[in-house]
Amino acid sequence: MEDTQAMKEAVLDYLRVKMPAARDLKLIDFNQATGGWSHQIYVFSASWYENGRQTTRAMCLRKDPGAGLLRELSSLEQQYRVLQALEATILPTPRVYWYEENSTLLGGPFFVMEKIEGEVPNPWSEAGKKAYANAAARGRLPRSFVETLAALHNLDWRAAKLEFLGVPGQGNDFALREIAKWESLIEQAHHRPEPVLTELLMWLKGNAPPVQRLALVHGAYRTGNLIIRDDAIAAVVDWELQVIGDPMYDVAYVLSDLNREGSPLLSCVVERDFFLEYYQGLTGLTVDLEVCRYYEILYMMRSAAFWISASSLFAEGKNKDLRLARTTYSVPVVLDMAARALGF
Amino acid sequence: MLPAKHLLTEVIDSLRNVIGPAVKDPYSKSQAYMAAVILEFVSRQIEDRSDLESIEQLALTELFDDLSRFPDLAEIVERDGPDLRSRLCHTIEALHRARGQISPQSFDRANLRVRLALRQLLDGELKVANGRRG
Repeated sequence: MEDTQAMKEAVLDYLRVKMPAARDLKLIDFNQATGGWSHQIYVFSASWYENGRQTTRAMCLRKDPGAGLLRELSSLEQQYRVLQALEATILPTPRVYWYEENSTLLGGPFFVMEKIEGEVPNPWSEAGKKAYANAAARGRLPRSFVETLAALHNLDWRAAKLEFLGVPGQGNDFALREIAKWESLIEQAHHRPEPVLTELLMWLKGNAPPVQRLALVHGAYRTGNLIIRDDAIAAVVDWELQVIGDPMYDVAYVLSDLNREGSPLLSCVVERDFFLEYYQGLTGLTVDLEVCRYYEILYMMRSAAFWISASSLFAEGKNKDLRLARTTYSVPVVLDMAARALGF
Repeated sequence: MLPAKHLLTEVIDSLRNVIGPAVKDPYSKSQAYMAAVILEFVSRQIEDRSDLESIEQLALTELFDDLSRFPDLAEIVERDGPDLRSRLCHTIEALHRARGQISPQSFDRANLRVRLALRQLLDGELKVANGRRG
């Protein structure tokens, strides 16, 4: 764990440079948020005087720890650029302030963004599931959940200048690119050969579906990655796996049992029939359940790749977090799910 | 020398009931409890290791014996390799790549046989991962 006080001082020095007109700059309630696997997250309020007036702004700093998960697949600079591009759209996202590549300042690249006020109940906890179920019963949050996903998929990503994410070719190129991306993560992990995973990868390559229309895809749209305020989505966060691709990729993630652990509600918050009907009405897209089933199996491969990468980081001594070591035992569990989905 | 299983049980108990509760820092405390969880897995792994290795060896040897008898797979089944797992991975890749060149019946038969062996491998690993006893 890093010294939070030293980090606070370093951030304060950085903000003084970035905000030269700010006088008597202070950081209040500076804390490291727990739970992040790929990045370190610090939240705080900055308070200063400018032109005789006091200003206080809640901020969030996201930092590359150097040996976190998904290093090869997700750069902080790309996340910053995506959030910057989304500021001008109707999609609720945090405003970004500064991106810093100089690793000498805080020990790794980082960016600073607005801290959105709201709640993020943990959907894996009983309390979180209950909070989402109660909100679902009130009715507003499920609608907001679907409307926000539809807004994401209806977004004109070319107008938002998001081509830098890479644009798949026609047909099934998106799925093949996605498979290749995660396969490269598996290869980099130098894990022992996993024949079940090989069978899964070959099946996925042989059955990749074509795309109805390309959209900006979040890649992990679920409760836990959404900030909620007044029973509505206040912000979509955790922009780490976004791509230009098949909107069914996000739909499949919502439909997946992986994201509800026993809750009858999709993503612990929305009824399946309502989700499908409302989403299709808002987007004009047809939800092809076969295609979604394909992507759900792809997600199982993605989870296996994620756990293999995580446990290898620990095994190679690059990251000492014991949660990463634990993930090696999740690999056969998720491969078993995939095998059953494929019929063996 | 204490048996490894017994020793691990005592260390796990100590992490859960002595060390974990005594640690103040939330991150370090959660790491202590996580260490106990991992050692439980390791304990099962040690207990089942020889069993798992022999199951895997037998399953893969039988698989390659069977595949060698499939008439149109001579060019597909990898005959040598650094280990059985690698050989199987290469064979699976070759089988899928040859899908358009061999008859659908041959592919399905071979794929079914491969998947049977994969299920045996998975069931062995799940004994450790899920804590299920055979």
